[in-house]
Amino acid sequence: MPEGAEQDKAILIREYITMKARILVVDDDEALAEMIGIVLRNDGFEPVFCADGAQALDIFRSSRPDLVLLDLMLPGVDGIEVCRQIRGESDVPIVMLTAKSDTSDVVRGLESGADDYVPKPFKPAELVARVRARLRPGDQKAPETLRIADITIDVAGHTVSRGSDRISLTPLEFDLLVALARKPWQVFTRELLLEQVWGYRHAADTRLVNVHVQRLRSKIEQDPEAPEVVLTVRGVGYKAGA
Amino acid sequence: MVSATKQGPEPAAQDGAPGSGAPAPAGKSAAGHPGGSGLPPGPEHTAAVSARLRDLMFRAHLWQRRALIVSLRVARLVRTGFRRFLPALRFIGRSLHRRWRRSLQFRTVLTTLLLAVTSFAVVGAYLSNQIANNLFQERLAQAESETSYHVKQVQDTFDGAQVTDQASVITLVYDTLNAVEGRGSVIQRRYVFEAMPEQTKPRNRWVESRASDQLTVSVIPPELRKAVQESGKDQYWASTVIPVGTEDRPGIAVGNKVTFNGTVYELYLIYDLNTAQQTLDEIQSVLWAGGAVLVLLIGAVAWYVTRNVVSPVSHAAMVSEKLAAGQLQERMVVRGEDEVARLGASFNHMAASLQEQITQLATLSQMQQRFVSDVSHELRTPLTTVRMAAEVLYDARHDFDPINKRSAELLYNQVERFQSLLSDLLEISRFDAGVAVLDAEAEDILQVVAHAIEGAAPVAAEYGSEIVLRAPEGAVIVEMDARRIDRIMRNLILNAVEHGEGKPVTVTVAASQTAVGIAVRDHGIGMAPAEAARVFDRFWRADPARARTTGGSGLGLSIAMEDTKLHNGWLQAWGKKGSGANFRLTLPLRQGEEIDKSPVQLEPEDIVMPGEPGNSNMLVLGTGAAAGTVPAQEERT
Repeated sequence: MPEGAEQDKAILIREYITMKARILVVDDDEALAEMIGIVLRNDGFEPVFCADGAQALDIFRSSRPDLVLLDLMLPGVDGIEVCRQIRGESDVPIVMLTAKSDTSDVVRGLESGADDYVPKPFKPAELVARVRARLRPGDQKAPETLRIADITIDVAGHTVSRGSDRISLTPLEFDLLVALARKPWQVFTRELLLEQVWGYRHAADTRLVNVHVQRLRSKIEQDPEAPEVVLTVRGVGYKAGA
Repeated sequence: MVSATKQGPEPAAQDGAPGSGAPAPAGKSAAGHPGGSGLPPGPEHTAAVSARLRDLMFRAHLWQRRALIVSLRVARLVRTGFRRFLPALRFIGRSLHRRWRRSLQFRTVLTTLLLAVTSFAVVGAYLSNQIANNLFQERLAQAESETSYHVKQVQDTFDGAQVTDQASVITLVYDTLNAVEGRGSVIQRRYVFEAMPEQTKPRNRWVESRASDQLTVSVIPPELRKAVQESGKDQYWASTVIPVGTEDRPGIAVGNKVTFNGTVYELYLIYDLNTAQQTLDEIQSVLWAGGAVLVLLIGAVAWYVTRNVVSPVSHAAMVSEKLAAGQLQERMVVRGEDEVARLGASFNHMAASLQEQITQLATLSQMQQRFVSDVSHELRTPLTTVRMAAEVLYDARHDFDPINKRSAELLYNQVERFQSLLSDLLEISRFDAGVAVLDAEAEDILQVVAHAIEGAAPVAAEYGSEIVLRAPEGAVIVEMDARRIDRIMRNLILNAVEHGEGKPVTVTVAASQTAVGIAVRDHGIGMAPAEAARVFDRFWRADPARARTTGGSGLGLSIAMEDTKLHNGWLQAWGKKGSGANFRLTLPLRQGEEIDKSPVQLEPEDIVMPGEPGNSNMLVLGTGAAAGTVPAQEERT
């Protein structure tokens, strides 16, 4: 596992340097996939395509993408299931492409492990901005240990633990937790969190924050119904627990 | 206990009179008199009388005190008992009252019982009165005829008597009178034989009066005696009470006069009504028993009948409650072919057709929902491709010749417009399908408003309008779906900017304890009251001839209204030609609460000028309020 992680990191750094991030586009609509390919290539990414949900995992394994663009509605295995499969073996950023902007669909997508979503019809610039935001390399992480409640965060080592138990978080959840832990005195609005964690200047959908906070709580809180680590400040947003 | 404590001084005051130790009050007072009367008469007589009087007064006083104490105790006992049982009585009364109100069966049975008891009481009283009367009349007729016969017998015997000495006279009279009593062991009638007062007493009047056993002349009512004495030889009767053995019995006394040896006697024959009374008592007890049984039977019948009628009705009520609660498969049990069964059958028929219609509607709604979802997906995917392609072309337009360049621009703009139209249409159809849900959370509405103003700033700058925000300090926390409120605010502000003719647009926010009001005011061309009422209609345009300048779909305000209804809020419009328009959004601070008054005015304060008729404005306010509140109520029901 450490060796694999090292390898992953090495590849990520290399590709970041060469600016040729590989992006897996899972979409059954050939025209749209091609168009997305044109846009991505135009912006210096390397797209890989997959038109079938059933093959998505195989192609993911063989192509080792840096980011996955995933359509929610796919023939064969549906987008939510594909998302769950990929999340099961990798922390790679997943951005959903959704034609439905109903809350339930968006929330379902995010809960299955996606980091972000882009509702159709999107603009090329919007898509690229989201891709870039998710590919942005983490801040230079100095050796730093943060604590919220009974949770210990090793920022450089990218690990979170309660006592001797390690808690596994996705990079996005980790970033969210670190952002809150670094300024325990500050109350973060959802917009501020979107900006700091997701990297959006202009507020996208604050539901993103809600869903990810809930997912984070389900992993780190002892009782997600009575949170102690990530507290809700009614009418404002969230803050770290004492 | 009372008598024990009060008895101490008694013997001293009683002068050692006998019977002072008698414990029973009755015995004591009874014993007092013989004791007193037993005193020897003579010179000490007056002293003894006064002593007796003192004694009596003392005793009276004593007994008065005792009676007072006993009555107080009894009163207290009754009061505490009443107080103790009062809650229970009250509870019983209340539960009876509740049953009376809630149970038709209870009410019917109780009413029937009351009516039955009343009618039996009336009929029973009449019957027993009639019977008693008849029995009495019969006995009276018999008594009168028997009396006249026996009086004649006695008179005849007396007239034919040839006795002169005292002994034989007495024997004759006694024998004659004893013969009147009747033969055999049973006494058929009794007599009272009395010499009439105030007549000259002949020498040989050896018999003054004579009566059957236990009787004296006092049993004869004075009125009867007077009537007999004053008449000639007429016969009179009266009701009386006679002692027989140890009991008093009702009787009829019939009187007349007989003469013997020159003396006029009153002769009363007294007939015992006991047998008639017994018959009457028996008849009455039969009436009582029969009445009670009949009342109970009628009660039972009423209970049975109402149960038969009411139980299907209450069953129907239960089933219809279940139906109303959404258990559409619920049906009534139908037995037989009577009216109740018909009710059940038609009820079930109604339920079935209701279920069918509701299921059909639900299916339709589901189909619509599915359709919207499908159209959404199917249209959006190609639209995304077209949009991306258009943007790529648009970005590269500088490399094109003028014709291609313009085409790329047109393509890009119209795809944008098409996209916004499509998303508005889908949004509206989502409302129509009833799938729009409120994702409410407590957030600061000032931030949302500020955000919407910020978003509209580029468009406002294009029109040269300034957007002014007038809001309270701090935060206004509202339970709302921020995404929808943001959309409403954007729609209202863009609408104001579009119609504001470059004049400033004011956004006013104010909050009360229960509600928050946001007014968006422009000073542009304005609109007539009739237009203000229609402004939320779909695709409605104030002036069809006027060119649509921004690429609005014509659905923006309709969507805003739907979003508002989802929040149980009000969205109202005010307008006046040449004075601009004002749109007011009012939301409850907490979902599920009612708004009674908006914290901001719909009619702008700056518009009410002195001397200007305010009626038209008031009219608009009314229309706006109706447009805002009525649909909100529909939403809730």
